[in-house]
Amino acid sequence: MSPLAFVAAIFATSVLAGGAGALLGLGGGILLIPVLTLVFGVDLHYAMGASIVSVIATSSGAAAAYLKTSLSNVRIGLFLALATVAGALVGAALAGVVPTRLLQLLLGVALAYSTVATLRQIRIELPEPTEADPLALRFGLEGVYYDAVLDRDVKYRAMRVAQGFAAMLGAGLLSGLLGIGSGAFKVLAMDHFMRLPMKVSTATSNFMIGITSAASAGIYFARGDIHPLLAAPVAIGVLVGAAAGTRLMARLRNTTIRKAFLPILGWLAVSMILRGLGLWLP
Amino acid sequence: MTATRTVDRRIGRILMVGGLVSIALMLAGLLIYAAHGHPQAREIVRVIHNREAGRAVDVFTSLGDVRRALAQRPPDPLAVTALGLVCLLVTPVLGVAAAVVGFLRVGDRDYALIAGVVLAMLLASFALAAGG
Repeated sequence: MSPLAFVAAIFATSVLAGGAGALLGLGGGILLIPVLTLVFGVDLHYAMGASIVSVIATSSGAAAAYLKTSLSNVRIGLFLALATVAGALVGAALAGVVPTRLLQLLLGVALAYSTVATLRQIRIELPEPTEADPLALRFGLEGVYYDAVLDRDVKYRAMRVAQGFAAMLGAGLLSGLLGIGSGAFKVLAMDHFMRLPMKVSTATSNFMIGITSAASAGIYFARGDIHPLLAAPVAIGVLVGAAAGTRLMARLRNTTIRKAFLPILGWLAVSMILRGLGLWLP
Repeated sequence: MTATRTVDRRIGRILMVGGLVSIALMLAGLLIYAAHGHPQAREIVRVIHNREAGRAVDVFTSLGDVRRALAQRPPDPLAVTALGLVCLLVTPVLGVAAAVVGFLRVGDRDYALIAGVVLAMLLASFALAAGG
């Protein structure tokens, strides 16, 4: 493949990854790393460097639009970022001390359970309001957005905040320990524990993943894993794709987004279990 | 709710400007690189496929690297691209800093503090990365 064709193909792939990431609240690493390494034969280090760039690009590209339409909730995002960033710092410090494979296996099993739990609520467009959570009231973890599909304002308030916060702490810890992004876990914690509308969950996750990834981006840069000729087409493609993804999100139902999220969750569960058992390495 | 929207818009603007400046720099670098007949591009792509084949000379690992390559005459186009990447990587941090200022301005001390703690942890992680 000629250098120009290589850059063009990487750009096109990144537009798709950015679009999917913006819709599903993921950084795109889960989609991008396998494609870059398996299809384009990119060295794993550079693929991971490009992936961290893609997470921040998705976040900046999507969150700018989601903040304008109030789909991203800054208060919920920052409140939970306390847990993920602290968890990531502790996780990075513990890396090499804690048995990684056992962790991956436990995480895989937890994700498999979450996949089944998400499957059960697949048809729920908006969660039923229940008794107000005192922490949600204290910290104003609520909001309102205009839902173009339902053609009305949707008001929501976070539920089971303590569980959500604990799950985020765990997500941050694992991302620090295992060097994985944790967009999927953030969406899961907001959708499953805190019962936020799915669109708010993925849009707020988009805002948060940029913050969590910025913490480790410096390490990748200093290591020389961010190659400009690979990372730049990825970043530009992802920014363009993420901006397009935000336009699509407005036209989709919460249930549609959850259905698209489910295979990603299942794939993560299987890959974590296989890694935990030592059957798969990438 | 209006106060929250003000903060939202402020952060959104920072993220959008950060993204646009990054794209402009990265694109400019890539286009100048292509216009110069992309020297050693094949070699670079070979290294992207297998890092062990040789350390890529065009990878920047510090801001000092980028600054030196920009100071060359003519400046290294890939350094312009790398500067765009650096802008992108610091954009979320600027977003959190904007949140601190925004919440202080609307008088929400709780969230100014929360955003401040997140910002402090991010800066601590940068310091740890630089030290490690």
